[in-house]
Amino acid sequence: MSDQPMRLAARDDAGLEAMLRGSAASIAWPTASPTGAPDIATRVRVRLVAAPPPAARRPWAAWRPVRRGLVLALIALLALAAIAGAVGLGLPGLQLILSEPPASPPPSVAPSRTPPPGALGSSLRLGDNVTLEQAEAITGIEARLPSDPSIGPPDEVYVDRSRGNQVAFVWAASETLPETREPGIGLILMRFEGELDDGYRQKLIGEGVTVERVTVDGQPGFWVSGDAHFFFYIHEGRGHIDDGRRWVGDALAWTDGDTTYRIESALGRDATIALAESLE
Amino acid sequence: MCPETDADDAVQDAFFKAYHALPRFRDGAPLRPWLLRIVTNEARNRRRSAGRRHGLALRAAAREPRDAAVPGPEATVIAAEASAELMAALNTLRDDDREILGARFLLDLSEAETAEALGLPRGTVKSRTSRSLARLREALNAAQVSR
Repeated sequence: MSDQPMRLAARDDAGLEAMLRGSAASIAWPTASPTGAPDIATRVRVRLVAAPPPAARRPWAAWRPVRRGLVLALIALLALAAIAGAVGLGLPGLQLILSEPPASPPPSVAPSRTPPPGALGSSLRLGDNVTLEQAEAITGIEARLPSDPSIGPPDEVYVDRSRGNQVAFVWAASETLPETREPGIGLILMRFEGELDDGYRQKLIGEGVTVERVTVDGQPGFWVSGDAHFFFYIHEGRGHIDDGRRWVGDALAWTDGDTTYRIESALGRDATIALAESLE
Repeated sequence: MCPETDADDAVQDAFFKAYHALPRFRDGAPLRPWLLRIVTNEARNRRRSAGRRHGLALRAAAREPRDAAVPGPEATVIAAEASAELMAALNTLRDDDREILGARFLLDLSEAETAEALGLPRGTVKSRTSRSLARLREALNAAQVSR
C-alpha cells in the first residue's frame, strides 16, 4: 500500500484523530493479567507485604517535574483502571485501604474451602501461635473477649508484634459462629495499636464492596461487606501495616482510644456490632 | 517493541508508590487523574533511566470479522496497513507529541484528564494536540517521501 501514507497525511485533524482512535483497539496493549502469571494487583500486593515503607520520603511537591515520557505508561493506565478499585477510608487511628480482589486469583491467594492442616489460623499469617496467657504477657495488654458464654474462649491466639503489637483471636466455626470465608473459622477478632488520626478520607469504592459507617459503643467504625477484599492499615507516621495475607469477607473495624479492633464474622452487621460491644 | 514487562513494571511501581502516597492524597480530589499522573511519571522515569525508546506495536493477528457490517478481508488489510503506517509515524515523534496524542486519542482521555495526567495546563493540551497532529502529518509525509 504505497499510497497509504499519502492518504493518511492528506487527512485533516479530525481524520487523523479518528484513525488514531480506530487504531487503539489494534495495539498490543499490555494486559492486567498475563496468561499464566499473577495479575498486577496481586504482584503489587506481594511487594507491599515484602517491602517496608521508605524511611524518608521526599515531599510530593518537591518531586522534580518531568517533561519527557512514554506513551506506554499511559497504556498501562488501562490496566490501572481495571485494578484501581482501591478504597481509602479513615478512622481515628487508621486508614483502611480496601482493594478489589483480582478477577482470577492465583491459587496461592484464593481461599480454599478445605481447612489447612494443623492449626486453624496457621495459614493466615497472623503471627506466632501462642496461648492467651502468653499473648497477654508478650503484649502487656489484657485481652478483651466477647462476653457471650456460647462463644467461649478463643480456640487459637496469635501475636505479631511487628504489626502494631497485633493480637488475633480465632474461633472455630460452630452453630453459634457460622463459617466465614476462611474454611473452618467462625470468628476472627484482631486488635492492634493505632495512632490518632482525625482525617477522614472517602475515595472510590470498588463495585461489590459496601462500606458503612457505624458506631461501636459510641466509637466510630466501619462495616465492610460484600465481595472479598484485601485489608491494609496505614498508621500516620508509622507507615503501613499490611494484613496482606488473604482475602477478607464481611468485617467490622473500629478504633477505641489508641487501639484498633477488627472482627471478621459471618453473623451480619448488627450481630457483629453486638458482639463487638460485648468485649470485656 | 512495546515490551509488556516494562509496562507491567511501570504499573507495579506506580501502584506501589501510590499506596505509600495515599496519606497525601487530597480529600475530595478525583482518584483516577491522580493515579494517571503517578503512572505517567513512573513510566517517564523508567524510560529516561533506560535511555531507550519503545514504540507501539499492533497486534500480530487481525481480529476476526464478527458480523456482516465488518469490512471484508481486503478492506481489513487496508485498515491494518493504515494503522501500521500510522503507528510507525507516531513512533518517530518526540515523546511529548506521543504522550499527548496517545492520551487524547489512543486512551481517549478528555482534555481535562490529559492535562491532569501529563501535568499540563488545559489550554496547553489543546494547543499541543494541534501541533502534535501537524507533526504526525509531517511524519506521514516524510515516510512517503522516503519510499
